[in-house]
Amino acid sequence: MFIYYLRLAMLSLRKNILLTSLMITAIGLGIGAAMTTITVNYLMSADPIPHKSDRLFYVQLDNWDPNSPYQEPNEPPDQVTWLEATNLMAAGKAFRQSAMGQSTLIVEPNRPEQKPFVTRVRMAYADFFPMFDVPFLYGSGWTANDDLDRRLVVVLSKATNDEVFGGVNSVGENLVMEGRSYQVVGVLDDWHPRPKFFDLSTGAFNLPEDLYVPYSLKESLELPSTGNNNCWQPVSEDTFQAFLQSECVNSQFWVEFEDPDDQYEYLAFLDNYVAEQKKLGRFPRETNNRLSNVMDWMENQEVVAEDARMMMYMALMFLIVCLLNTVALLLAKFIGRTGEIALRRAVGASRRTLFAQHLIEAGLIGAAGGLLGLILAWLGLKGINGLYGDQINGLTSLDPNMIALAIGLAVISTILAGLYPTWRACSVPPAGQLKTQ
Amino acid sequence: MLKMNNISKVFRTDVVETHALRDFTLHVEEGDFVAVTGPSGSGKTTFLNVAGLLETFDDGDYLLDGQSVKGLSDSQLARLRNEKIGFIFQSFNLLPDLNLFDNVDVPLRYRRFNAAERKRRIEEALEVVGLASRMRHLPSQLSGGQQQRVAIARALAGQPRFLLADEPTGNLDTQMANSVMDLLEQINKEGTTVVMVTHDPLLAQRAQRNIFVRDGRVSEVTSNADASELLHKTAQVG
Amino acid sequence: MNQIGPIFRALLRNKVGAFLLALQIALTMTIIVNAIHMIENRSSLMARPSGLDEANQFYLTSSGYRDDFNEQLVIEQDLRLLRQLPGVINATQINAIPLSGGGWSMGLRTAPGQDGLNTGVAIYFVDENGIEALDVELIAGNNFSTSEISYREANAVEWPQNAIITAATAKELFPDLEPAQTVGKTGYISGDEPLTIIGIIDQLQAPWNGWSGVERVMLVPQRTLFGSSRYFIRTEPGQRDRIMKEAEELLLRQDAGRLVRNVRTMTETREDSYRGHQALQTVLWITVVLLTIITALGIVGMVTFNVNRRRKQIGTRRALGASRGDIMGYFMIENFMVTSFGLLLGLGSSIALNIWLVDAFNLPRIGWHYLPIAMVILWLLGQLAVFGPARRAAGISPALATRTT
Repeated sequence: MFIYYLRLAMLSLRKNILLTSLMITAIGLGIGAAMTTITVNYLMSADPIPHKSDRLFYVQLDNWDPNSPYQEPNEPPDQVTWLEATNLMAAGKAFRQSAMGQSTLIVEPNRPEQKPFVTRVRMAYADFFPMFDVPFLYGSGWTANDDLDRRLVVVLSKATNDEVFGGVNSVGENLVMEGRSYQVVGVLDDWHPRPKFFDLSTGAFNLPEDLYVPYSLKESLELPSTGNNNCWQPVSEDTFQAFLQSECVNSQFWVEFEDPDDQYEYLAFLDNYVAEQKKLGRFPRETNNRLSNVMDWMENQEVVAEDARMMMYMALMFLIVCLLNTVALLLAKFIGRTGEIALRRAVGASRRTLFAQHLIEAGLIGAAGGLLGLILAWLGLKGINGLYGDQINGLTSLDPNMIALAIGLAVISTILAGLYPTWRACSVPPAGQLKTQ
Repeated sequence: MLKMNNISKVFRTDVVETHALRDFTLHVEEGDFVAVTGPSGSGKTTFLNVAGLLETFDDGDYLLDGQSVKGLSDSQLARLRNEKIGFIFQSFNLLPDLNLFDNVDVPLRYRRFNAAERKRRIEEALEVVGLASRMRHLPSQLSGGQQQRVAIARALAGQPRFLLADEPTGNLDTQMANSVMDLLEQINKEGTTVVMVTHDPLLAQRAQRNIFVRDGRVSEVTSNADASELLHKTAQVG
Repeated sequence: MNQIGPIFRALLRNKVGAFLLALQIALTMTIIVNAIHMIENRSSLMARPSGLDEANQFYLTSSGYRDDFNEQLVIEQDLRLLRQLPGVINATQINAIPLSGGGWSMGLRTAPGQDGLNTGVAIYFVDENGIEALDVELIAGNNFSTSEISYREANAVEWPQNAIITAATAKELFPDLEPAQTVGKTGYISGDEPLTIIGIIDQLQAPWNGWSGVERVMLVPQRTLFGSSRYFIRTEPGQRDRIMKEAEELLLRQDAGRLVRNVRTMTETREDSYRGHQALQTVLWITVVLLTIITALGIVGMVTFNVNRRRKQIGTRRALGASRGDIMGYFMIENFMVTSFGLLLGLGSSIALNIWLVDAFNLPRIGWHYLPIAMVILWLLGQLAVFGPARRAAGISPALATRTT
């Protein structure tokens, strides 16, 4: 029986090929637009480190201007000072912790034919690698002792290793940067968490840095700070040390707990720490410490761009218009067929079988529309990628979840759209329609 | 009233050429009640369409109320239909989305009568067919005979000189058919020319004149001398 | 036109279909009005002039890395060489590029100390050639003199004596004075470091296009010794691309232990800066166009179905004396009614959506003129869409009335 309905549906759809394609196109466009924007939003709001995002916490302390908050309403700064970065590291109260910051270094490759080039550098502590499950191709991260001893060690990204060492295992090799020789201790595998949750300050979807060195080198080598730097007080004198000791915030601080509940203990420690600092005349504002786990921090930093959300709402409304369009067309089509339906009823088709027949017709349109929608979503994502370029690195790929959602959305919405017209058509009495038009 | 001289009408497809009407000549005087009969495919319907200005013809002359209709534009034809001809169809052709009042109103609107005039005529026409009390009903709420009476009211409302009926009782049972025929006769008596196409010889006999069409020509004309007597007989049969 | 009453009553007999179409038109209007409002909003942001001669400007970065890199010497030599290039109007060292997204801002006060209104301004360190290289107009006061250009170390906390500010900065700092009258006034930076305003320039944008103070800029007469410096170069019209290559080669020829990188035009920088806006506009335009097409085709489809369903009725009307024009008119008027109802709904929902957008996305309130324009356009669209099927309806033969099927 199902096959028979399918054939009837195909026949009916083919009979009015223009209107059929109009309905399919409308659904396809609606689904395509919705899926394109939903995918971007979905990927933007994805959990970048799902198995431990509830145990990783971002630390905020409010060392800001007593007269005005860092950001209304009474938000603490989104980064911490060098002082806090080093003090909290020294305290080592969490299971794992790492302060970090951004810098640049010029690499001078060994091979003379290769020109020196500028790299983006992440300065961090040894815990950075295990804490964020950073994958290694060769070697490993450095040790806590390397941090303490301020050893010149470096971990390379895969791309940098490819560039400088031709992709071979370079662990143990030396890399010269700005006149100093660093020892390579590890090479990362491909690693591109989206969003780049551990530091959102310079673009939530940028690629991670080209290489990693101990944060303690910042002080000894006077490595410049790149990324965002905010001060509420002028720096006291023109030395690097004065800058480090200032109230300027340009470090990020992450902690990992074995149990999410450990955060309360850590928060108590932070409050205590701030109380101590207040005695030294710092932290003029009321204590306002924050611990945010990964997803809370993403939300706080509004990782999902407003424009992306706006586009999604627009696209969803667009989908509704397309569905209304389909309902109206199906209604007109089915009502125009009351004669045939009455005939079928007169020769013994039950209301239920007619219902099934028409729903299958609607479902077929939905499936075709969904398929078209998928193709359009794929094209749409390509288009978005072309329009935005680097700003949305890797946010434009369809994953199986999204594909399933697209097809499901299409079929369910079309069947819903087909429900009312079908009901209307099938409530035709069997006899009456035969006699007169 | 209606003068058709040597009308011919040919339908052409790629393969066949069908002469629906050939040398069709028919004169209907004012006040006549003419029944046109003939087997199916004889050209009855084509005659009806040509007479009612629903279709054009290829050759010959057609004078309606003394006016030649040859070469008139579509809108001139529409106007003539609207003013001079009242139509009654086999399947009534009421507009299902409009109530009786609005149905009767349709031709009057096209005539650009003002609202008061239309209202007067609609009420009068519905009064004649005995359905004035159901003005606000929809056609689907009426029986077949009632629907046809509404259609007659619609045809009458414009006070046409000429009523064209196409199998007016074809979709009705005998009793309803008779009441519709009575109505047509009454209208005819009041001076309207009636041309009725039917395949039912019994009904045809109620007309003053019978025209038998075969192969697109008028093949036989009979006058029912004593129409009223025949009428009486048929009524008894019914 | 005299068919309005019956058309309306017939419509009421097919409420759902008509209502669905009206709803579709309402939503279409809502989306179109708000999308175009957003597009306009972004356009106006993008249309703000940067104050530069963007078509003829480019910049590059020079970063020293060798131990023997003598920064001050290299900068002086570089700038001299760049200015000598034929076709170069002028060149300056600058710490940040307008619209590029990265730069330095400081707070300015009109009185010393930590209290009082702190006005954020973007800082550009330039030399006496800055004004000409940027192509900004000095509307009052004087340019920096060659002798007052000093060198600034990376961790410096001191500030020079003089500064030039934009008219917008002057208005913000001294709201009661005309910009030109602020020449000679003093602003305080870093608490109590005084800066004398010696000149006012008409307009120059900060590096951040999304900043509310994007027009607030201060020029400071210093060259920076931060290890890495940017040169900003303005060329004669049409010479930019040639000079870009020549400049890069010229600097690379000097063996100074540095890299030359990031050679970019202002045109590219503007494109990058507004890429998000541009992209949103494109997406919204596509949405508007597709939506319009879908809605128009939807109307065509609906009317076609209706015409097909009502073929016999149309034939009957024709038989009863309707002219072709009457039949066309019927469908046009019917569509006009449905569209009007939809647009009335759309009027409400457009405003409602806008209120929500204002609330959720800080979008400005919609201009009232969008609404009547959108309504007229959608009315026309509806009439246009209905025209084809209505004409086919008008072509239906009156002879259809006598056919018994």
